[in-house]
Amino acid sequence: MELTRHILTGFEDALDNLRKDVLMMSSLSSRSLENARRGLFERDEDWCNTVIADDEEIDALEIQVDGEGMEIMLRFHPFASDLRNVIAAMKTSVNLERASDQSVGIARRARKLIALPLMVETSRIEPIFNLASSIFDDAIKSYADNDIELARSIKPRDRELDDLNREFADFITEMMPQNPNHIRGFLELIFIARCLERIGDQAKNIAEDTIYAVAVKDIRHTHAAM
Amino acid sequence: MQTSNDAPVKMTADEKNSSSRPDFISVKDFNFFYGKKQALHGINMDIPERQVTALIGPSGCGKSTLLRNFNRMNELIEGVHHTGDIRILGKSIYDKGIEVISLRRSIGMVFQKSNPFPKSIYENVVFALRISGTSKKSDLDECVERSLRGAALWNEVKDRLHESALGLSGGQMQRLCIARAIANRPKVLLMDEPCSALDPTATVKVEELIRELKQQFTIVIVTHNMQQATRCSDNTAFFYLGKLIEYADTPKIFSNPSEKQTEDYITGRFG
Repeated sequence: MELTRHILTGFEDALDNLRKDVLMMSSLSSRSLENARRGLFERDEDWCNTVIADDEEIDALEIQVDGEGMEIMLRFHPFASDLRNVIAAMKTSVNLERASDQSVGIARRARKLIALPLMVETSRIEPIFNLASSIFDDAIKSYADNDIELARSIKPRDRELDDLNREFADFITEMMPQNPNHIRGFLELIFIARCLERIGDQAKNIAEDTIYAVAVKDIRHTHAAM
Repeated sequence: MQTSNDAPVKMTADEKNSSSRPDFISVKDFNFFYGKKQALHGINMDIPERQVTALIGPSGCGKSTLLRNFNRMNELIEGVHHTGDIRILGKSIYDKGIEVISLRRSIGMVFQKSNPFPKSIYENVVFALRISGTSKKSDLDECVERSLRGAALWNEVKDRLHESALGLSGGQMQRLCIARAIANRPKVLLMDEPCSALDPTATVKVEELIRELKQQFTIVIVTHNMQQATRCSDNTAFFYLGKLIEYADTPKIFSNPSEKQTEDYITGRFG
């Protein structure tokens, strides 16, 4: 439903600003995940430190988005699509902040791995990273473009990510008895894979909220195809 | 529940649940004219019993005109005419056998601005009863207490029933008018922006009262206040340029309207 502009320009501006801040958060969260990847695979501590430092800005934006959302509700009493969009923006910002926290978790683990000798098993986590990163970016894109079809593709891909994570955990568990000296590194890798699996969950939440905001369908906690 | 121009709308869960309740007021192919100017176009809607139905829309959309047709008040205006029908419990309000006075007695009305008579609180409430010939004191006393309790005003005025109604606050005056409107035990209560002249506290009291009164009466309320419609009503009908654009249960209208014009209006994109 293509809507015209509000009579109250203040309302229109407030909604625009809210959306812009969520999109800014999306961009920063995606960048943090990419920086965490470089820190992990390039074994570069500077990238890891950047992820940890950038998290403050994302936290601040989350608080800002909450404040803006509250103010819109107080001042303008939004209805229908406006109400759904405000709620989706606030929920999306929470998921973006949590995803960013997972990137920080990956960066912290990567710093510990950098301090250890290089482990060949690290490369086995790359497909998980690629899938998590692609799901996350597509969830953000679906929110930014109100793209329901793209949002619908997230849930099955998140299940695929869960499977990859389980397979990886099984593989590392098998490797542990054979390489007892690498136990610490193995544990860091399992935790990193777990962070990526959680990022997939945040992406799925963002996609579900986008579908609700745009198509008014609540598909949370369902296995049905979206 | 139906919308304008005979287009049926999908039944909601609430409507299905309330299917045991008959449609109390039924508007069929209703057109209304002020002289040559057509104010209502082909309205079809069924208003369920003992629920609150809100009529919303921009000024001049026809919502008050429709409301005033339910008790044939528009006929006091010269040059008006209509086609189609309005039925209450299956009986046309335009039947030749219907007396307009008795119709209006069975349909209470509350207006935008409270309009108590310059008489005592007591006399305001029993005004209609006196006109209809009731003079027995015990009947009048019973009516006063029942109506004032019904309007949530009894505790505030029970010790000064014979003082002037004009000494009441704005919110109390409006509740007195509601008491007066329900004194005759009407079947329907029509409210034309009943809170628009009240402060927030008085508004809350009247809104609470509306929710209580729907246990006994079928209420139709015209309001420009969208929050009020969401708080008070079970069903909402959106009118635009004399047409019924959309009619559904209130949560549906305000969270996910089917029509773009409804969405544009309730989200403040025109009005």
